[in-house]
Formats: sequence, structure tokens, C-alpha cells
Amino acid sequence: MWSRIKKSIKRLFPRKREKIAFQQVFEQFQTLLQNQQEAMELIADLGEKSGGDYIFDRKYLVDSISELQDLLLRMVKGLNLISSERYYELYSTLDRVFSPIEMELRGRLALSNAPYVISLTEMPLDTPELTGGKANALGEIIHKLGIPAPSGFVITNRAYNRFVEYNDLEERIHSWLELWMLGKETLEKSSGQIRYSILAGIVPQDISRQIRDNTKTDNEFWAIRSSAYGEDGDLSFAGLHESVLNAPATQIPDAYKQVLASLYSPEALTYRRQMGMIGEEAAMAVLCQEMIDSRASGVIQTLSLESSQPNCLAIYAAFGLGRTVVEGRDSSDRYIVDRAYPHKIVFKRIAKKESFVRAASRGGEEEAILPEDIQSKSSISESAVNSLAKWAMALERYFKRPQEIEWAIDSADHIWILQCRKLAISPEQAETDGNIREQFSTYPILIENRGVVAHAGVGSGRVYIVNNHGDMSVFPEGSVLVTKYTAPWLAQIVPIATAIIAEKGSVAGHLATIAREFRVPALLGIDNATEVLQNGMEITLDTHHRTVYSGKVDELINFERVQSMVFEESPEFRLLRRLLKRIASLHLIDPYASDFTPGNCVSVHDMIRFIHEKSVQELMEIPGSLTHFKGAKVWTLESDVPLDLRILDLGGGIDPELSGNKVKIEQVRSLPLRALWEGVSYPDSWSTRPVEIDFKGLMSSLTRNWDAAGGGAVNAGFNLAVVNELYMNLHLRLGYHFNLIDATMYEQAQRNHIYFRFVGGVTDLTRRSRRAQVLSQILSNYHFNVLIKGDLVVARLLDLPKEEIKSRLHVIGALIGFSRQLDIQLKSDQDVDQFVEQFLNRYANLTKSLPGGGKDEQIKDYGLGR
Amino acid sequence: MNKLKIMVLDDEPIVCKRLKPALEKQGYEVDTFTQSSDAMEQIKNVNYDIIITDLKMKGVDGMQLLTEAKQLSPKTEVIVITGFATMETAKESFHKGVFDFIAKPFKLSEIQEVVSRAEAKIRGE
Repeated sequence: MWSRIKKSIKRLFPRKREKIAFQQVFEQFQTLLQNQQEAMELIADLGEKSGGDYIFDRKYLVDSISELQDLLLRMVKGLNLISSERYYELYSTLDRVFSPIEMELRGRLALSNAPYVISLTEMPLDTPELTGGKANALGEIIHKLGIPAPSGFVITNRAYNRFVEYNDLEERIHSWLELWMLGKETLEKSSGQIRYSILAGIVPQDISRQIRDNTKTDNEFWAIRSSAYGEDGDLSFAGLHESVLNAPATQIPDAYKQVLASLYSPEALTYRRQMGMIGEEAAMAVLCQEMIDSRASGVIQTLSLESSQPNCLAIYAAFGLGRTVVEGRDSSDRYIVDRAYPHKIVFKRIAKKESFVRAASRGGEEEAILPEDIQSKSSISESAVNSLAKWAMALERYFKRPQEIEWAIDSADHIWILQCRKLAISPEQAETDGNIREQFSTYPILIENRGVVAHAGVGSGRVYIVNNHGDMSVFPEGSVLVTKYTAPWLAQIVPIATAIIAEKGSVAGHLATIAREFRVPALLGIDNATEVLQNGMEITLDTHHRTVYSGKVDELINFERVQSMVFEESPEFRLLRRLLKRIASLHLIDPYASDFTPGNCVSVHDMIRFIHEKSVQELMEIPGSLTHFKGAKVWTLESDVPLDLRILDLGGGIDPELSGNKVKIEQVRSLPLRALWEGVSYPDSWSTRPVEIDFKGLMSSLTRNWDAAGGGAVNAGFNLAVVNELYMNLHLRLGYHFNLIDATMYEQAQRNHIYFRFVGGVTDLTRRSRRAQVLSQILSNYHFNVLIKGDLVVARLLDLPKEEIKSRLHVIGALIGFSRQLDIQLKSDQDVDQFVEQFLNRYANLTKSLPGGGKDEQIKDYGLGR
Repeated sequence: MNKLKIMVLDDEPIVCKRLKPALEKQGYEVDTFTQSSDAMEQIKNVNYDIIITDLKMKGVDGMQLLTEAKQLSPKTEVIVITGFATMETAKESFHKGVFDFIAKPFKLSEIQEVVSRAEAKIRGE
């Protein structure tokens, strides 16, 4: 689709590298920054929408993506304009990155390009259309929750389609179904004929080969289970489809057909007809898991279905494989456990278990008699009961509905989650009558109509206030995380929190992203949360009304529990999450790594990062090539500081009344340059202890270098600042090192940045690297993101308010003087710490101007600087 | 106090699915429709206090539904939800008879607030 655009661009900007006036480049760069900011805001908006506080439709997604694509195209054009078309490749990158996004929006990506077989560790999430509900849920358990589940693979829906097509089954299935629907044939006959055709079919080689590729492990036996789309979601096909346990790897294709055939069992057909789904195209993915050598196994229901045990979960357990428990619970051990941490056992009944089911040595299952002495023993330990309860509640928190979970304990006493699905609750149990609003109006309200919603939902538990790392190790699972900060280190307790309430934070910040990832209801920006909410208080958060109630509002929790839809599971939200994965994830981290290329851009964010980095580089380097300034007026700064600085004013950077060619710093209007010069002029900046190499001598030698490189209309032999009122690009050559500073000071924080680059020197690389260490440590101390490569130091700051930029420029100004001869003085590694300390002590006053507290939120930088 | 009856009409099922529980929790009785023709039939049988409708739909559009609803029951308050881009056109063509407009995408709290205001008007507060 780009070919036409490419041609017109070629015409407009011929490939020949031409010099463009700096003014023009600078304006283009400003536009580029503007586009970039809009694109990042759009991405942040999309991220925010995934938190569930908004109602959006498909059209919103289509419109946003098209806007994003438009902005990216403009950015690619912009970069190519300022770089004289050096990044032409980005046009095809743009095409490559957006084409799967467009396909996602059209809705058919999942099946058309998908593999027939995919391992659980590599499978994409949020694609139950491809892998079925059961496998998709297991994928999330493994990837997001880190709960142990047996490894394995999925034979996808696409493989089902391939199988049906290969064996010419479509017509046959259709006509038998039709005969039954028309009453011309019995259910049993139609079902039998279809299943027979499937069992007689051949698994195509391309599928069986991929199955073999996935079974090359030591474990020879497999559990093969159905994973139909919708099976574990709103619809409950529980028990309708077949599972084959303990099948040798060689028999997987046969077991696969057996499971596929069960899609047309009389029970499954009757159910689909009742649900009005018989006309729809059926398909089935099949999950293959390594067999766990179960010493004991069973089922958990995270909500006990007996009304006499409210707020409890039920664990059923027996020796051997799970079939005993799944098929009848009378002969199983039963534990009734408090749903709340620390999961006290409320009741237990140890059944007399005369037999058990075990894996037969040649495959399949067999029943065996239990030795009498253990028949009345409990099949699992109380610590296992505790672990199971903990994981079960984590699963319920994540999936937002009571769950039914199959588990196993192997001979080494490791616990495994085999599968989990929504627990079917009968309508009577789900009933909520009367006016729900009146029912919970009796609970005292602690916080109302305040804050911003990072992730929507209802969560209840006891308050646990986290102030520092130490509090985290003792955070009780299932508590409400209340915090002053939104620091990144909180991420590790988010998955075990039942809700989050923070005093600071924004919906685009780090904590919000993590809350969404783990689906934890989160309300941010409640400024006195840690005063209103005390440790140990039981509370309920409802983000829909941005309300925190005192106490556990059971009516509200039950109301949420029985709603037909978990928003996180709706097709729109899944689509948004799949899109975000292709848009917002960031893979290009290090701009100095060899893989920092257009070819390695995977996401839209990568592209933005790449374009941003390269455009800044282009902009910074252009003043080095003086031909861009042909005929421009250059001012000389008059100052006591021994730093010969020339200034090129792009407009508004120098007092307009001024004539001649000399300027005093008071007559400079450029805010960044003035801020920097204040730092440069601090007493002490230029009077460290004397160094052995003559400063003037160095200056003269650099003049020669500069002259050789330049040679334009402007006289060489000085340092150059290109400025306007709010912008400064400064090139310094002090000694043999080369220092570049690019900064903006707009009213809007999001438009502001400081870039600092420092390289070179007269000494050997070891000393220059020590100097890089000193600079890096000092700049990190002032919250710069710093990167070192050998003697190269690159430091960045983004999105800070004007005043903050100003105080950082003071630091950089002071650092210019401090660092000029640093490499010569750094004789050993020990000197590094000493010099860092010396700087920090000398300029202790600069530290005071820095904000305390919410550092992490202040330094939010859309990931561009990291 | 009687529960108010609300109709939600939007051809995107997600809008109905999410609005229904949110409004029920606020204490309203809610019926949802994704087919405007079904909704058109329904307003002949049931008197809704509030109708929340999308503007652009296949078949009968929000404008027609509004006219019909107001004719059948002048007291019914209609809230129009529409895409951000079509907001201005919507406001122009609908200046009569519409209680309020909401641009998609919107926050649950925004619509709850508009519905609360409509309720206050209906109850004469």
C-alpha cells in the first residue's frame, strides 16, 4: 500500500543527501516531537481503555489505529526529511509493523497464519479462538500467575479445520446434523455416524509431524483434553467432551481424533442445540499435557456450594489419578477452608478409600485396591491444603469468578494445577433480589467519588499499608495494598493483592500497567488514603463508583460474581490487549546496541523509540557541520568563564534590541542556556586543583580539530550554542572531549527533555571509562537515565516540568567545569567514588532543589529514555 | 420508591453488556437491545423512563427511535451516545427532546451521572 506514497516521497525528497538549513531542520524536529507526543498519548489512551473504566466499541479501536498509523507515517517522513532520507527503510518497517495490526482488526489473523501445534510456553495469550478456552486459561496461569502447570502443547483450531478439510468431512458432518435437526434421523444415529467418520479419518502429516516435534521429551505419557472455544468461558461444556489420560506419545494422533469426535457426542450436540449454537461452525482445539505421576489428586471449588459454609472453599482429594474425585465425591476426602488468608481449615472429613485409579504401565488407567492401612488416611497434608487454597484464591482473583480447579500432587510432593474453569453456580445460589443499591447503602463509606481508576472491578480484604521494601515480604496474600507511592518495586506484590489504593499515580503510570496485567482493581490518586485507611481494616473497593466501603460488602461481591460477563474476557478487551501487545510493548532498549535498527522494530513503540533516538541524534550532530549555517549571524558570549561560546539565535534567544556581535548572559533570552550558564558560573566550577596539562594548550589543539572538520562561513575555533527562547543545542569541545547538550524548557512538561552526551579525551581508555563512571553516578543521582559504552556517556531526562529542567541544567553546567580534566585525575578506580562524592558535596545545594517523594512518577518517560 | 425502567440500545453488544450491570447496581431496571427493530417494537409495549441509544445503527437509527419514543411517551428522557467524531452533528440535529449527549468512548461514571440527573428530573427533584 505504500508504493504510491513511496514514489511521491522519492520525488519530493530525492535520495541525494542535501544540506538543509538548520532552522528548517529544527522546525521539522519540533513537528516530529509533537507527532511523537500525540502517538504516545494515543498509546497511553489505548492502555487506559484496557483497564475497564471506559466503555468503548470496535470503531474506537479502528479509529485510534488509523490515527496512530497516520502519525507514524508523518514521523517516518519527518525523520527522513531531517536526515536527508537516511532512514528510507522505515517505510517498509511501518508496513510490516502495521499489517498484523490491521489483520487483527479485521478479525481473522488468529486462524489464517497460526500454527497447527503450539507449545504452552510459546502460545499467544488472549486467543481462545485459536487455542480454546481451557488452553488459553492455562497459558495465563503459566505466563501471568506463575503457578505450576504441566508443560505441553495445543493442537489448535486451525489443525481441526485442516483435519476436516483433509478428510472431506465438512459436507458429511453438515448433512448428518441437518437430518437430525429436521427430525429425519435420531440423535444417536447422526452422532454415531459423524464420530465414526472422524475416528476413521487420517491426521494429516503436517499436523502429526508437528505433534511429534512437541513430544520429544523424557515423559512418554500424555493427557489429552478438549479445549473448545467458549468451553470454559460463558458456556459450560464441563464433562461433555472426552479426555484421554496416560496415552503414550505414539498414540496422541488417535487420542486426538477421539477427543475431536466427542465434539459430536449426543450430550454435546444436545447441549449445543439447547444453547442455539448448532448452526455455528464448531471447532475444537486439543490440549496435550505431560502426565503427572499423581500420588493424590482432586478438585477445588473456590466457593463452597453448600450454603452452610459461606466464605469457604472446598477441596476434594483422593489417592491416585483424578477420575475418582471427578466422577463421584463420596469416597473422597473433603476439606472446607476459609477463603481468606491464612486459609484456616474449618472442617475436614477423611473418607475411607478402598480403591484408587492409577496410570497403567502400558498406557491408560487402571483401578487398584489400596492397602488397608492407608485407606482411612488423609490423602494430602495440611500444608498442601494450604498451598492449594492460596493458589485457588489467586486463580479466582485473576479470573474474577469462582473457579473449579483440577490439581495433582506428584510422588515428589510437588503440586500441579491441571486445569481450571468457571464454577457453575445454579441460579438460586446466584440470586440477588431487591434493590442492590439499597442493600449496600448501609455500609459506611470511607472514600467516595475520588481518584482515577487504573483497573476496574470490586475487591475486598484487609488493608495493608506498604511504605518500603520491608513491608513487602510480609504482605498478606489477598490484602488490599494501600500505599503512598507508585514505585516500580511494588510490582511484585500486585499479583497477590485483592485491590490497590494509592495516594499518587496516574492511569498511564507503571503501577496502573501492572494492575491491568494482573487484573487487580486499582484506584489511584487518593491523596490521604494512608490516613483514612488503617492497617487491618476490612474494606471493599468498588471502582465503578470510585467508592471504598468499610467492611466486606457481600451483596456487592455477590452481585459482581454473577454478572454474565467478566469485562477482561470480552472479545473487545481481548482484541485490545492483542493490539496493545503489537503496539505498546518495547523491545528496542539500547540505542547503542547493534540490534537497534528498523529491521528489529517489532512494535509501534519500538518504531517511535527508534525514530525519536535517531532524530535527536541527527539534530544534535547537525551544528557540527557548519555548512548548515551559511551566512547566519553568530553572537559571541562575553563571560569570565574561560569557555569561548558562540551563539546562533533561531529567534527569541537573544535580546532583540541588541546590536553588534557581542552578548552578555543577561541579554540572553534562551531559558535553557541561561539555566546552564548559571551552573557553569558557580564559584568553584572552574577552579579545581590545578592540573598538569595546560588548559589553553588543550583549547588551541581542539581549535585545530574543529577547523578541519568545519570550514564553513562561520569562523571555527569556538563552542556553539544553537538556541531559541525555549530550546538549546550546545556543542562543546573542551580539552579533547566532546560534549553535547540538547534541552527544551516548555510550559508543558511532556515537551521537555535534556540529552547529554560526552565522549573522548586525551588519556587512555581506562581513565576515560573511569570518567564515564563518575559522570554516570553523578547524573543518576539527579534522576537521569544514564547509559555508558566505553568512554561514551549518554544521559536523558524526559517529561519534567520547566523548573525541574532548570535545576538539572544547573547540575550539568557545574558538571561541565568539573569534568573538563577529570580523566587526567582519575588515576585509579578508587578515585571514582571520591570524585563523585566531591561533586555531590560541593553542589549539595543543587540536590536540595530536587523533589522528594514521588520520584517514580516524576520520571515517567513513556519508556523512551530507558 | 419505584425502580425506574431504562432501555439501552446499541448495536455493539459490549456497550449493552457493560451498561446493564452498572445501571442495575445503581438501582434501575434495565433492558438491553442490539437490534433497533426489536427496540422499536418494545417501546410500543413497555413505557421506559429513560432510553439510552446509539445514534448510528443499521435499520432504524437513533433519530427514528427518539421520535417514536417521544410520541408514545413524551415524559421519556432520551440520552444519545455517539462516536466522538459525530458529536457535533448529533447535537445540531437533536437539539430538541434529547436529555443529554455522551461521546464514545465514555467512562461508566459519566453515564451514571447523566442518568442520575435524568432521574432527578423525572422525579421532579
